[in-house]
Amino acid sequence: MNTLSATPGILAAFRKYLRIFRVSLTERFAYRGDFFLGTFLRFLPMLTTILLWTAVFDGAKESGREELGGYRYREMIAYLLLVHISRMFSSMPGLASGIARDIRDGSLKKYLVQPLDLIGYLISYRAAHKAAYIVTSALPYAVIFGICYRFFDHWPDAITLVAYLISLLLAFVVGFAFEACVGMIGFWLLEVSSVLYIIMTLNYFVSGHMFPIDVLGEPWATFLKLLPTQYLAYFPATVFLGKTTGLDLTHGLIIEAIWAVVLLLLARVLYRTGLRRYSAYGG
Amino acid sequence: MPIVIARDLGKNYRVAEKQPGLRGAMRHLFARKYKIVRAVDGVSFEIEPGEMVAFLGPNGAGKTTTLKMLAGLIYPSNGSCEVLGFTPSDRADAFRRRFSLIMGQKNQLWWDLPAADSFRLHREIYNLPQDQFDRTLGELTELFRVEKLAKQPVRELSLGERMRMELIAALLHRPELLLLDEPTIGLDVVGQGIIQNCLREYNATRGITMLLTSHYMRDVEALCRRVLVINHGRLVYDGALEGITDQFGRVKLLRLQFAGPAPDLSRYGTVTQAVDRAATLQIDRSKASSILSDLLSQHTVTDLSVEDPPLEDAIARIFEQSATPVEAAIAS
Amino acid sequence: MMRYVRLFRAFARVSLLGDMAFRGNFLIKVVVELLWLGLMVFFYDRLFDFTAAVAGWSRPQYFFFLGTYYLMESLIETFFLSNFGEFSELVRTGNLDLVLLKPVDEQFLISFRHVEWSTLPSAVFGLILMTRSILQLDVPPPAMAYVAFAVGLTCAVAMAYSFLLMLSATAVWLVRNQSLYELWWLFMSLMRYPKEIFNAPYTNAIGWFFTFIIPVLLAVNVPAASVVKLLDSQMIAYLVASAVILLFVSRRVFRRAMQSYRSASS
Repeated sequence: MNTLSATPGILAAFRKYLRIFRVSLTERFAYRGDFFLGTFLRFLPMLTTILLWTAVFDGAKESGREELGGYRYREMIAYLLLVHISRMFSSMPGLASGIARDIRDGSLKKYLVQPLDLIGYLISYRAAHKAAYIVTSALPYAVIFGICYRFFDHWPDAITLVAYLISLLLAFVVGFAFEACVGMIGFWLLEVSSVLYIIMTLNYFVSGHMFPIDVLGEPWATFLKLLPTQYLAYFPATVFLGKTTGLDLTHGLIIEAIWAVVLLLLARVLYRTGLRRYSAYGG
Repeated sequence: MPIVIARDLGKNYRVAEKQPGLRGAMRHLFARKYKIVRAVDGVSFEIEPGEMVAFLGPNGAGKTTTLKMLAGLIYPSNGSCEVLGFTPSDRADAFRRRFSLIMGQKNQLWWDLPAADSFRLHREIYNLPQDQFDRTLGELTELFRVEKLAKQPVRELSLGERMRMELIAALLHRPELLLLDEPTIGLDVVGQGIIQNCLREYNATRGITMLLTSHYMRDVEALCRRVLVINHGRLVYDGALEGITDQFGRVKLLRLQFAGPAPDLSRYGTVTQAVDRAATLQIDRSKASSILSDLLSQHTVTDLSVEDPPLEDAIARIFEQSATPVEAAIAS
Repeated sequence: MMRYVRLFRAFARVSLLGDMAFRGNFLIKVVVELLWLGLMVFFYDRLFDFTAAVAGWSRPQYFFFLGTYYLMESLIETFFLSNFGEFSELVRTGNLDLVLLKPVDEQFLISFRHVEWSTLPSAVFGLILMTRSILQLDVPPPAMAYVAFAVGLTCAVAMAYSFLLMLSATAVWLVRNQSLYELWWLFMSLMRYPKEIFNAPYTNAIGWFFTFIIPVLLAVNVPAASVVKLLDSQMIAYLVASAVILLFVSRRVFRRAMQSYRSASS
């Protein structure tokens, strides 16, 4: 670590984090048990959600209704599938709780001693996990989408695809910064695990992971779209579906980018402020 | 009747060999190679009630593994042991009520609560009668001088105070045997001293048997008359602490003070220090008397002392001598 | 037996003391947990504005189902989920040794060391939701239905316990089993909806599998259906039988895991 940091410049810094990237990837492969198990079982809730919505739309058809919050049956299912892609980029399991734990048990000190920026370190670590995860789950996801192709009307055009990709990459940053901010709560609250759990659960609701935000009706839908959480799941999915187009799309991407920067800065500020009042527990 | 009997006790375990780097990890995902590690390799000893015995050895020598086998936490791969008349691996409740194991790196007290609450929980776990519990707790808090600390959340205690609380928790059910794995790890000299005193006094008043592992020679010197030295899973020495120097200390330290500037002494042995008129000389023990008479006849020596080198050196020599597992054990 | 009841009380007490050491935090947890349940009810309310029935469950029936689900989830989370969550951590750090030294049944000690009081209010929320639904029903359920419900729910919790025990036992072999909560989330996602949603051409087999082979779908469905829909005594019998078998099997698996922990660790 020290020899690397001796070389100045952006490239050196980049190499340093690249190294972490590889090390974390290695670490990830080292535990094969949960790796395989986790990847395959992940698809079960997808199925039950689709089945629930099928039952809902079947029931509604009897009373002659076909559209909920602007979504028809097939769009709804397509949305729910796409949300998984969004979350593939934006979810950061264990990030916030990891930070909070480091704060609590005093192991945060290791970042203070090493020539590493905590946030820089963590984001490269996460990028590694994400890369590993996306690579290994590409095949199963391809199978799922192959089976479910009939829920999609048409393949989006090139510009939409590019916009979609940008929205996903930004979703990764927003997701990371959001969780990092949440983890920094650990500086102010001693016991945070369940608070984190609850925030994550709430996030499941407000990010549009469960259903398109529009389903809630007004004024809720408008309110939830003001939050950064919508970019974790809802926004990218609507981009792919062609529900956000033109000026809305451009604005959406710009606001997403602004959120990414603001949240990263916030994480930094919280980290600095937190450090100042940080008394290391456990001597 | 010994309280601990180990006969040819051994423990092998299988570890996955990991190749470094990304490619190694990928390969590891699909095919794993294993190798057998002999953590403990045929150890035999007996411990009598009331003894305080130290386990010495470098890291990974098998001290903790042996301790864990005696506690019934892991099964021996070969050989057998008998502790308090039980076979530990049967893990009878009656057995577990009669001993305690303390690991310096692990704590069992509730972090956010005063130790008193954890003690009460121990009372329930060990099903202790209230009056006996109160009495023992009173004695222990007095002995360990922690009367004022039991009401504070454990996380607010210093490491040394916390360790004393851990000790109390481990002694509440009045075990007959106390196994200690690095009880003073991380403590400063003062903290170590306090823990040593506590243990010694407790041994004196209660006659409890103790078996401890420690990195610190101070712990061993302060507490134990008998040591078991283990290296590469084998017992290389079992006997009195002083015996180590007799058996392994092949050198003596000669401290000399001359009337004039110290002469060149290198022909007698190794000069470890030579400042002005003083010199420290390390010599072969067998030649000590001839060198001494030689020195005294040729130089004007104003002061002189003959010492054994520090115990650490002797121990280090044992480790070195038994460095290769093939070498014959020097067990007495 | 009495000894274990007393021991459990002692654990519950210490856990409560621990929670009270961070009272504000505890309160936040309770409030947000209830807020979440409120949000879910709000969401399902919206759904039932859109459709009159979901998989054959009318609005009050479905809300009763939901209440049952919350009640069960709360019981599981309060009494043992966090303990199993910590188990892999115990294995990883070696603190499991400290547990194994105690003269108490290790399965008991690992399952019930800690009571998560903050999730208990959700049980009350579930009960209120269930009561409200029963009052909205056209025909009040017979007394027998409540007995079936109590039996069914007890067995469902026992079943969930056994699953968790077996899942966490795998931590001994896999060392880092961070997926426990994730796997649990998966199981819960199967219990969360009425099992009738599986009544479709391709998914029937999956529904059948999770009803009869790995009987998770029985957990909430059978007790809830006994009260607001149909009391199917065969299904109740099957649920009881599964719970008993699973309790037995999971204990065996757990013991095997402990044995292998003792032979493998150093």
